[in-house]
Amino acid sequence: MTRVLVVGSPNSGKSLLFNRLTGLRQKVANFPGITVDTHSGHSRQHPDMELVDFPGVYSLHAVSGEETIAVETFSRALGEGDVSAVLCVVDATRLEKGLVFALQVTEAARRAGKRVVIAANMMDTLARHGLTLDDAGLAGALGLPVIPISARTGSGLAALEQALLEGPDPAAPRDSLLARDETAYRNEADLLSRTYGPRGDLLINSTSRADRFFLHSLTGGISFLLIMYLLFQSIFTWAAPLMDGVEGVLGWFASLLLPWIGNDIARDFLRDAIFGGVGAFLVFVPQIFVLTLMVGLLEDSGYLARAAVICHRPLRIFGLTGKSFVPMLSGVACAIPGIYAARTVESPRRRWLTYLAIPLMPCSARLPVYALLITAFIPAYTVLGGWVGLQGLAMFGIYLFGICSGLLVTALVSRTLGDGGEDAPFVLEMPPYRMPSWEPLLRGAWDRSRHFVYKAGPVIFWVSVGVWFLGYFPNLGADLGHSWLGSLGRLIEPLFAPLGLDWKYGVAILASFIAREVFVGTLGTLFGIEGAEDDVISLAERVQASGLPLGSGFALLVFFAIAAQCVSTLAVLRRESGSWRLPVQMFFGYGLLAYSAAFVTYRLVEWLVA
Amino acid sequence: MTSTLWQLRRGESCVIDRFDARLHDTYRTRMVELGFHPGAAVTCVVAPRLGAPKLFRVGNAVYSLEKQVAELVITGGEAA
Repeated sequence: MTRVLVVGSPNSGKSLLFNRLTGLRQKVANFPGITVDTHSGHSRQHPDMELVDFPGVYSLHAVSGEETIAVETFSRALGEGDVSAVLCVVDATRLEKGLVFALQVTEAARRAGKRVVIAANMMDTLARHGLTLDDAGLAGALGLPVIPISARTGSGLAALEQALLEGPDPAAPRDSLLARDETAYRNEADLLSRTYGPRGDLLINSTSRADRFFLHSLTGGISFLLIMYLLFQSIFTWAAPLMDGVEGVLGWFASLLLPWIGNDIARDFLRDAIFGGVGAFLVFVPQIFVLTLMVGLLEDSGYLARAAVICHRPLRIFGLTGKSFVPMLSGVACAIPGIYAARTVESPRRRWLTYLAIPLMPCSARLPVYALLITAFIPAYTVLGGWVGLQGLAMFGIYLFGICSGLLVTALVSRTLGDGGEDAPFVLEMPPYRMPSWEPLLRGAWDRSRHFVYKAGPVIFWVSVGVWFLGYFPNLGADLGHSWLGSLGRLIEPLFAPLGLDWKYGVAILASFIAREVFVGTLGTLFGIEGAEDDVISLAERVQASGLPLGSGFALLVFFAIAAQCVSTLAVLRRESGSWRLPVQMFFGYGLLAYSAAFVTYRLVEWLVA
Repeated sequence: MTSTLWQLRRGESCVIDRFDARLHDTYRTRMVELGFHPGAAVTCVVAPRLGAPKLFRVGNAVYSLEKQVAELVITGGEAA
């Protein structure tokens, strides 16, 4: 068994190469700093070779938290006996930049007695421009193998793996690492790049034209808003047929299975706890798929880096930076990758403020709750051939509310803390625009949805079973109000009565502190038990029929938009911030804020309606 | 009077002369590693209004720099 450390600059195509070699599904994106932890996998061609993928860094002189972790981990790994080689990936189209890092890595590896192989990636792009690279000359000058490859097309990968397995013994370090500063590395990289690198202009005019449009003060702002609007509109319009499909399959399966169940209790359990509780949650999974797909599309196209530039100035008003945008947008899919991605924010102060904002981003676990309440209270009215829908607008509105809440909190905290003194400057590489690769995008969205079901599914199953059991007994589902759950619900009812919510919603909110999406499954089970004699109708229709006031519906939306219920998010925050202080403050602070804001919303809406 | 990278308008090029002493060593090192070293030719690719970060091309790469850092890069004459 042999191990190979895979390193490279951001946007060098390292993760795509790692996926090609191992067959794993590491997330690939066109944005600096997308790998936020090390990943390992075995080569498909040579199973005894394990590859370890490190986060992309520009230099061994770390600037951000993410780089510090990557460099420290890399340095430690170099000292391990089973590491045989370092694979350094450089972007052949921007050789001078990649070579600065490659030279640093080569020196460090040689000092540790490890072999180095350089993969000159993106040779397909060079070929498209009619350019080439003198890889033999560069290899001779560096004294190590330089293999031209294309991670996108797969060319050169066999030669690369051969070089990793059978390369020459490591050469002795040329001089002390400490004796060489960044200028020496830069000068050498410049010289090597000029001598052996491609000679020609690789930045195509269309990229500059696109940047002038997408970053223009007017067209950039409008296109940003339009793209974000389409993102949220797509959650409803594009996911709707898929949701109908899941609902149809579940209904068909229930109608097929239930008549065969002779035992009344078993039949009620299957119908209410499984098809009612777990099924109600599964119906919303297509929305998570579409959301992940759309965010991935923006990342892969190169637009996300431009969005970070557009957002930089506005975000500075709230104490954040343009680099906070990607962690916050990741938080729209799930807060956990968002918190990891915040490592790319160099400034500790702005990183801490980004942590504060992320749990308020409308994550996918909130999506089923929002979708249920919006479907129940907002009519499905569309105009412009279905492109603009009232429900989509409402979803956009509640997402905007979450984002604005996050910004407001960071602005208040930032101003309370006062001037942060010296700060890390905003310097961000602009990746080239490119056509997204649909296969990894679809695979990523599928994996994310599957992970969501696997992670939340068991919790929802057991909560649904527990809720059904307490609601069904002791009177065998005859009267939910006098069940064990009914008695428990009435105990906590005074807490939720100021929001116009009865005990059933109180129980569902309490259950949602395990995971937000449990709210939907719990309501599904509760209404399933209560309406067991009815025909199968959707949960949203049952919520409508329950007589829930409009003000309470809006109060629930506001409560879920603010409350920090997710235990996993709080645990990851503890790991990243180094103590329980921030997550505990967040849990109670956001909880209190959520309840107060929900109370005000309920009163306001009911007053307006009256 | 010294000119800085921030003063470049869209389409204009220059050569970097030195860094202002106020730029922290860590970030000066990073700027040099990215290609913004004394003697390097830089072109302003996009210069949005309202103080938004500008896009600068150095070599075959493009970076977005905000005013606070671009003002600390002192430029010499126009690039050839």
